Amino acid sequence: MDSDMAGKATARVEEGQGARPRLSPRELAIRYGFLALLAGLIVFFSLATRGFASPQAAVFILQSVSITGILALGVTATLVVGGFDLSIGAIATSAMMAAAYVMVVLEQNALVAVLACLAIGALVGLINGLIICYMRVPDLLATLGMMFLLIGLQRIPTEGRSIAAGMTLPDGSTAGGAFSPAFLALGRHRFDFFIENLVPASVVVLVVLAVLIWFFLEYTRFGRMMYAVGSNAQAAAFAGAPVRAYRIWAYVISGVFSAIGGILLAARLGRGDIASGNNLLLDAVAAALIGFAVLGAAKPNAFGTAIGALFVGVLLQGLTMMNVPYYTQDFVKGAVLVIALVFTFALLGRNGR
Amino acid sequence: MKTTRRHLGRLAAGLLAAGMVWPAAAGAQEMPAPFDNPGEVEIALVRYLSTGDFFQAYLSGVEAQAKALGVNLRVFDSRQDAALQADMVDQAIALGVDGIVIQHGLTESMKEAAQRAVDAGIKVVAFDVNVENEAIPQIEQSDRDLARLALEQAIKDNGEAWTAAYVYVPGIAPLDRRNETWVEFKERYPGIEEVAQFGTLDNPIANSVANQARSVLSANPGIEVVFAPYDEFAKGVKIAVDEAGLSSDVKIYSADISTADIAAMREPGSAWVATAATNPAVVGEVSVRALAMLLAGEDPGRNVIVPPTLITQDMLNEQDISNMEELSQKLPQFAHADVAVPDWMPLPPRD
Amino acid sequence: MGQGAIFRIAGLGKSFGPNEVLRGVTLELRAGEVTVLMGANGAGKSTLVKIVSGVYRAQRGEMFLGEAPFAPASPAEAMRAGVVTVHQNINDGVVAALDVATNLVLDRLSGGGRGIFFNPRRIRREAREVARRMGLGIDLMADVTGLSLADRQMVAIARAMAHEPKVMILDEPTSSLSSSEADRLFALVERLRERGVAILYISHRMSDIRRIADRIVSLRDGRIVGVFEEKPLDYEGAVNAMLGQNLGAGGIESREATAPVFTADGLRIAEGARPFSLSLGIGEVVAITGLVGVGKTRLAETLFGVHPPLAGAMRIDGRPYAPSSPAAAIRRGVFLVAKDRARTGIVPDFNIYENISLPFLPHFSHLGVASRRAERAAARARIADLKIVCRSERDDLATLSGGNQQKVTVARWLSQPSRMLILDEPFQGVDIAARHDIAAKLRESAGQRATLLFLTELDEALETADRILVMSEHTIVGEHRNRNLDMDRLLADVAGRGLQGAA
Repeated sequence: MDSDMAGKATARVEEGQGARPRLSPRELAIRYGFLALLAGLIVFFSLATRGFASPQAAVFILQSVSITGILALGVTATLVVGGFDLSIGAIATSAMMAAAYVMVVLEQNALVAVLACLAIGALVGLINGLIICYMRVPDLLATLGMMFLLIGLQRIPTEGRSIAAGMTLPDGSTAGGAFSPAFLALGRHRFDFFIENLVPASVVVLVVLAVLIWFFLEYTRFGRMMYAVGSNAQAAAFAGAPVRAYRIWAYVISGVFSAIGGILLAARLGRGDIASGNNLLLDAVAAALIGFAVLGAAKPNAFGTAIGALFVGVLLQGLTMMNVPYYTQDFVKGAVLVIALVFTFALLGRNGR
Repeated sequence: MKTTRRHLGRLAAGLLAAGMVWPAAAGAQEMPAPFDNPGEVEIALVRYLSTGDFFQAYLSGVEAQAKALGVNLRVFDSRQDAALQADMVDQAIALGVDGIVIQHGLTESMKEAAQRAVDAGIKVVAFDVNVENEAIPQIEQSDRDLARLALEQAIKDNGEAWTAAYVYVPGIAPLDRRNETWVEFKERYPGIEEVAQFGTLDNPIANSVANQARSVLSANPGIEVVFAPYDEFAKGVKIAVDEAGLSSDVKIYSADISTADIAAMREPGSAWVATAATNPAVVGEVSVRALAMLLAGEDPGRNVIVPPTLITQDMLNEQDISNMEELSQKLPQFAHADVAVPDWMPLPPRD
Repeated sequence: MGQGAIFRIAGLGKSFGPNEVLRGVTLELRAGEVTVLMGANGAGKSTLVKIVSGVYRAQRGEMFLGEAPFAPASPAEAMRAGVVTVHQNINDGVVAALDVATNLVLDRLSGGGRGIFFNPRRIRREAREVARRMGLGIDLMADVTGLSLADRQMVAIARAMAHEPKVMILDEPTSSLSSSEADRLFALVERLRERGVAILYISHRMSDIRRIADRIVSLRDGRIVGVFEEKPLDYEGAVNAMLGQNLGAGGIESREATAPVFTADGLRIAEGARPFSLSLGIGEVVAITGLVGVGKTRLAETLFGVHPPLAGAMRIDGRPYAPSSPAAAIRRGVFLVAKDRARTGIVPDFNIYENISLPFLPHFSHLGVASRRAERAAARARIADLKIVCRSERDDLATLSGGNQQKVTVARWLSQPSRMLILDEPFQGVDIAARHDIAAKLRESAGQRATLLFLTELDEALETADRILVMSEHTIVGEHRNRNLDMDRLLADVAGRGLQGAA
């Protein structure tokens, strides 16, 4: 009986909803502006360049954003709890070095390498979270420090050398291990999807992680509590939420996602490069911030982040195909970010009031 | 040669020490001052670029030659911060080092810092950065020759007419010099059609270049040759070529070499067919040797050029070379450079 | 046109989109008179204040200051013309980073025609003059950050007085002051009145209004619905006009508790405070009252597991109760509607149903996945129950009025059965109609739990509680059954008599 009533009530509200979509042009612009812009870009590049409108092009755009996309999803988790993680790029490159080190120097198999990377990501995230929650270091500073720490740490085991099969170790001997084929397959294997060998493993990982984190944030109670913590931590605490635990978990998620990004990076490059990962960080943060503007969410959200990453990918690949020099690409990336932020803060802010 | 009071003092102290403790000076007798007492000599390496195998190998060459000479080495690493690099030169001056190797950097920021070092009576050599100073010898790995060797191989392999993509980021001195050669070649061989130019230094470079190359290859299906005159670029292009399944249609020519590069070139069906390289370790050794000659009062010359070597996929496969050590062993022209080697100069041990 | 009207508003209208907030307000203010403006939340008070103070511009109607038309384009312009507003949010009226003296003469500093150089001695001289005129007994060298709210309020008003205003608008000036602080404010208002300033005073508090009103104007739905100026003033008439209905005033049916739900023995919540005991029975509504700063919030938060008690034992249903966190308290069925809903109550980015279900998501979840359908159904029931005014349960909290936001936080904690429901100042910033709705719902649903209210306003306690406890200096000093209550004894307790008697 009771549920029946609830059902009726829902139906009534649904009707109300049906009558509602008389959105003003501004509301329409806020909600669908970015998606329309994305569609417009795709149409434009399809007409302007050869080879843009093909399944292969679609797949490699996804592939080009898969690593930054995964990092962006991780940083979204920290944005949701009102934090920030500047160490994601460095975690990714550290994981890449770790994977290479485990396989090439320690001569272990792919599974060990993957587990080592995930453990490093989780550990770094945990340390970030503990420093922020218990030592009360502001998030930006704590993760900035962690970024520097990791960039330095990457160099220690090999004394600054990049890691590749057959490399010379600091003690003069030659490393005996190599990247295992199973590991490389993470970056190179392609699944059949209508067309043979179409979808690379990294794209599959991106899509799976995006769906997972989206579901987690939108539909589970844990995700909801994380949003509550980010919106008003004190109110969440007074509603019984273990605020610190949620914060720490967000950094662990961010660390693990970054480590997964690093694994894919290592699998694609086939070696361990010393790198700061700063460009990965900037692109990922840009994607997450652009995500604020998608569907007028005005808050960090996984779907928006994925669209944000895709947006940057489409733009950069399209411009490259049109032979636009690299420095214009940085300019365009920055411009998109600024426009997205204006969308979020100016239009939405005014609308809310 | 301008001799400072400090040098005289040190010379006197050295002579005194040699006189009083005669057995210690026995082995160093043929060495010119100040290397008759090398433990008192301190040199600094001030770096602009340090990330990547090339720079790591360069450093190992510097270290090896410094060790062979028996001098103390201090390494300053500015990590692509031009202002910091200039500060580091001043720091080295303040520490009272005898000689400085400047490794890369920007002319604008290093010119004055280098002059200050020279004014302080410190001997300076510069690698791959033009500090516009008569007193400072330039160590060069001859980027023009590098590009020339790789492109000559491309002409040899593909004839005089082909469709090309070119990877280039302007504003980086060695890449600019390699670019000059590329421009010359395009003029000399009008059959070379450059349909796309791209490039980025976003790090990790190989990953970013791979993303770009994917787009370029699908927008320009006819590309036969990619000229990527920096090995990080070449690695990125190779990843893209593999991912696009074009390994048999595209050939990659590059510059520079590392163990990882060797592995990539030797992969079955690899599109990366040739590279021209100077052994970075040798360049490092030559840098220190040129500095040592200056300190000993000799003149290494205004430009000290380390000649490059062409390395092809076939060479690597035939001699079964899998890392830099084997490359040095099996291609002697790569392992040694008879540059800046006066008789007294001790050389690092060679396998 | 009344005599001596120094400021006139005629037919003022203002809409926000389709929402017509002011529908032709006509009002006049006279020199040396305090006009109290009463209105429920959403009646249009703040909009009216913002138009007069130059924040908004009216779409219809006119204003006159003296005989000249008055249409300020900015707050600065209104201020220069002699119409000064002291806003509800005290911190908008002072600059925390500066000292009192600089604050007092701040507007002159930023005005035109002054030298570039900052002369601290001259500033202090001018500030001293302002302070003397206003009888302001505050150290002029003190930083504003170190001042109490009341002192900041005084500084804000004195600063406004530096302009020699003709009209002053005070927007709920006592809302965050204790009663002794309010006394000082009233003394200041008295001085303003003597100086011939026309004052528009906006407030909910009957005690304030009784004390200072020369006339009362009631605003409802964007219109003036009543002007009361014949002495003695008809306060009830003004309230009724403002609410548009006759609320059944008067006492409540005081109930006796049956079995105890919560007991505390030897509880001590602050260093040096006297331990006290407390017993709350099932079905009763108990109000703890006392002045600001006597430890009411501390006690509420101690019961909710935010702070551990310094000493003493608590029991719920006979079993020991020592919550280590709010989460532990919630698990035992102890809920708190916290004071200051913006800080500790609502999640501003969440909509109504998300706010209501926040602490109880596990109830709405299977395997961690929350069922929005169930949450929404539960929220709709609460919305109907508490008469929350909204379009749907998916409205953002930011779109609701203060009273409705408060109803949402109460609705949250009524949405699941509890053993003890604690409400800390649940009627703060809530209009009378909303207050009646909340109080009625609390009493109606009180059957299976103990309900504990912390209230500074005695009126509110008398309206809602079966039993009234009085707190002073972090301990309980008196107990009164809300039936034939001895008001004198109650007031004496509030003033701290009980404590002195025991000492």
